Amino acid sequence: MKNRLKVLRAERDWTQAQLADALDVSRQTVNAIETGKFDPSLPLAFRAARLFGMRIEEIFSDEDRGGATDGNNNNPR
Amino acid sequence: MSQHKRAENGYRSRMRTNNTRFACWAAAWLGATALMGVGPRIFWSGSPVFTLLAVGLDVVVGVGLIAASTKYVMDLDELQQKVYLNALGITVGVAVIASIPLSVMNRYQFIAFHVEISHLVILMSVTFAVSAVYGSVRYR
Repeated sequence: MKNRLKVLRAERDWTQAQLADALDVSRQTVNAIETGKFDPSLPLAFRAARLFGMRIEEIFSDEDRGGATDGNNNNPR
Repeated sequence: MSQHKRAENGYRSRMRTNNTRFACWAAAWLGATALMGVGPRIFWSGSPVFTLLAVGLDVVVGVGLIAASTKYVMDLDELQQKVYLNALGITVGVAVIASIPLSVMNRYQFIAFHVEISHLVILMSVTFAVSAVYGSVRYR
């Protein structure tokens, strides 16, 4: 899963520690999400969306879905 | 960033409190276990009443330690819980897999020393610590 957490955080000039406090998680978790090592749960994704005032899909996106726009979608319609 | 201000130090202060609580219970349990182990020989010359009291104290403090440990795990964030769960899974697996061959080797005297339950506890502790550190580094 891809995400724009790092970009959104940088736009607001927040540190990982500040974002971690706001999301009520550890700084390690924010770092792991930003680097794509860990996918957050739905409640945490909702918290991030609320914090940035955006919809979840504007922050998180399925990497496989990226291929869909290139006509490589193997998912049944 | 009002939400940030509200939540500031929430997770960290909660974990600090939980760490302190867990450390206190762990120290108390170690003390109670030590008392139960050496008390009958050193302090009350094998008196069954005091020995039973020491065992009871050890169990009560042990229950407190389990409660503190459960709260600690429940308050971890989801990544930390995942690391903890992975470490726990590896620990249980190693304990089950190692204990049976060790027991057989002990029975047929393939090993020089007598295997005791404390060896299994040490093995589990070391396995958990290594697994938890490895899991933590993996997500760094």
